[in-house]
Amino acid sequence: MDKKVKQCLEEIVGAENFTDSLIDLIAYAKDASEHRHRPDAAMWPVTVEQIVATLKLANQAKFPVTPRGAGTSLAGLAVPDRGGVILDLSRMDKILAINIEDRLVVVQPGVVYADLDRALASYGFFFPPDPASGSVCTLGGNVATNAGGIKGAKYGTTKDYVLALEVVLPDGRILHTGSKCMKSVSGYDLTRLFVGSEGTLGVITEITLKVNPKPPMTSTAMATFETLEDAGRAISEIMYSGIIPSALEVVDQQTLIAINQNTDLGLPEVEALLVAETDGYTREETEFQMEKIIEIFKKNNATTTRQADSKEEAEALWTARKSAYGVLARINNNLIVEDLAVPMSKVPDMLRSISELAKKHNLRIPTVGHAGDGNLHPVICFDGTNPDEVKRVEEASAQLFEKVIELGGTLTGEHGIGLAKIPFMGLEHDQVSMDVMRSVKQLFDPNNILNPGKMGLEE
Amino acid sequence: MKEKYDFETQFRDQVLRCSSCGFCRAVCPVFGITKRPALNARGKMLILKEVMDGNVDLNDELVETLFQCTTCASCSEQCPSGVNPPEIIKQARKDMVRIGSCHPAFEGMNQILKNHTNIYAEDEPEDFGRARHKNAPYVFFIGCVGAYREDEATMATLDVLDRLEVDYTLIDEVCCSGALEDVGFEINQRLTEKNVERILDTGAKAVITGCPYCSRTFNNKPQYQGLKDAGVEIIHISQFLKDFDFGVRTDKVVTYHDPCDLGRHCGIYEEPRQTIRKIAPNFVEMRHNRANALCCGAGGGVRGAYAKNSIDMARRRLEEVEEVGAEIVLTECNSCVHNLKNAKLRAQKFKIFTITQFLNHLLEEAG
Repeated sequence: MDKKVKQCLEEIVGAENFTDSLIDLIAYAKDASEHRHRPDAAMWPVTVEQIVATLKLANQAKFPVTPRGAGTSLAGLAVPDRGGVILDLSRMDKILAINIEDRLVVVQPGVVYADLDRALASYGFFFPPDPASGSVCTLGGNVATNAGGIKGAKYGTTKDYVLALEVVLPDGRILHTGSKCMKSVSGYDLTRLFVGSEGTLGVITEITLKVNPKPPMTSTAMATFETLEDAGRAISEIMYSGIIPSALEVVDQQTLIAINQNTDLGLPEVEALLVAETDGYTREETEFQMEKIIEIFKKNNATTTRQADSKEEAEALWTARKSAYGVLARINNNLIVEDLAVPMSKVPDMLRSISELAKKHNLRIPTVGHAGDGNLHPVICFDGTNPDEVKRVEEASAQLFEKVIELGGTLTGEHGIGLAKIPFMGLEHDQVSMDVMRSVKQLFDPNNILNPGKMGLEE
Repeated sequence: MKEKYDFETQFRDQVLRCSSCGFCRAVCPVFGITKRPALNARGKMLILKEVMDGNVDLNDELVETLFQCTTCASCSEQCPSGVNPPEIIKQARKDMVRIGSCHPAFEGMNQILKNHTNIYAEDEPEDFGRARHKNAPYVFFIGCVGAYREDEATMATLDVLDRLEVDYTLIDEVCCSGALEDVGFEINQRLTEKNVERILDTGAKAVITGCPYCSRTFNNKPQYQGLKDAGVEIIHISQFLKDFDFGVRTDKVVTYHDPCDLGRHCGIYEEPRQTIRKIAPNFVEMRHNRANALCCGAGGGVRGAYAKNSIDMARRRLEEVEEVGAEIVLTECNSCVHNLKNAKLRAQKFKIFTITQFLNHLLEEAG
């Protein structure tokens, strides 16, 4: 990057908010995926005007700009693949308004998910998506990636809560989308276009979110199944029974084995373990729902079922699911936390296929997931210094996504395309769909300055 | 292949195991005030990976991040991959110093301890008006901050020990010098030998330390093995006081700041609370407490090297005091007290003491 351009960028945000130090360039080269590429500089803008000036300059001098939140992406969304400038929005971290009367909040993009959650707790409200990285991830990142989480089956994902956005377009114009009303069909739904756009269309600078009252009571239960098919039938049956659990999670046999080898938890090494949570306003309400769920567990040959009587017991039932990532991260040099979704009835088929693929390619692929919405996370464990193993991982990934599409699934439920899924875009999206996506990109960002190289938008 | 640096030999697997999840952002005190990923544990691990890959050499450009860590170990506590960044960073600092890259403040500290007996280069030892070098079952070891910066707190602690009729002695102590190992240097044997010799001379069965860091050093560094070999027990003052009854109490709202050196590094969370609950029934916990407590910003040499950021970290901690509406903040580390007091704004009306200092105050009031 030209020295003069760097000087201009520094003038835009001030010396304290600009860097091209080696340590920053290395730190911004990576997110939580395996992808890596250094930017040429990074900025921490603190006003919309600074972002406008930066994008105008980038559009004119034609250098890449990659917006970034907490950099917790698991698919390379935040990696500056073509260099250029990182626009780190984490210093724009103000909650601008909590308007409970209208059931909405207005926030800057750098507000951390957990900080909003804490601010809303005193009103008895919450922003439901609950991504696993909630303690660190930013709301700007949540919107740009349409983040999901454990509560998807009942509460949906980020897209279901974004009412309005302020976005700086690549040419420096400021776009306001949506409305602060709960209902609005006024014109094209531009808000939805930006939700999940992975920073390729504009820089989100203000977010209006719908928030929900938080049900104070929960019930929790766990069940084990000898076969994936039994667990799968239980999942489907729960989801069409009329009861919608606030969480329904699955842990597979490989994960249970890994946990048992590395902890004293002594879990049953069955083909599937399910954990369900129901929520509501009274104990009767949550228990009523849970009784139905346990009935369905039993009807589908659950070998054991356990319901928590206390908060501590509930936490114990969650241990298998919640300790999975930690255990796998401690025993493996490299992990790819994959992400896919299939129609709910296909969850057992998908789990069976993952286990067969692991065997075929001599890999360990323990899988956990949000069974209640068909969103699974096969965790591919490998040693990155072993080239033969890396090759087998690549082959297995390709076959995994062929299977996903064959089952009527989608390449990603909540992590996004980024860099990781580009090779598979053609499997899910036909030429017309890719053409339209590329036209949208061309319309907003004709010079391809915003997060270039992502989502398979280049031919 | 021979590794170029010692941190690789010792910690290669751990550095590789960092999965870059970024969860340490939630707790790193330096990141909390700077929002700069290069200063967070994930950033530091990425930089060390680049060094291991041969893409970058350890050099002056890395000083700002590798020497800006309070070693508070919040990141280790949170890390799903079981990585212990402070230990890795401390070794990398030693590698840096070996090749001549170091923050001047730390170089200064090493020089000072070569020529003086304490980190402040004070030549006149504080006189606390207590017996020195007498034969006694206990030695009370003050520590540099308690002796030269928070002497009022130290005096109060000694008063409490007197009221409890504890038979102790002071010694002409010198810096435990453990901190040198945290900032890239070797522990100073001239100093450690003096301490061991002077403690053993008293015939004491135990050393009570006022400083949790000194306590850690005596317990963990091989240079102090002589104490253990002679059967001398090392106890922090908060452990020593937990079983006494004081017969005084306050109605004020009191909270407790867990010092990193006492909490995360020694696992001492309950003893100080046991004492506080006896004297302050209106005890409240801050949002981050025990293993999740926020660092005051003073540790790892950061107060000396990056004073502004250190004070900002302390301010952030004090915001949590306001959140819970406490009137009194207690802690049991003079270094924390010192930094928190320096950071306190005039508008903040709460007061900051060590537990023993506050206890002494109550005892004095009760006559």
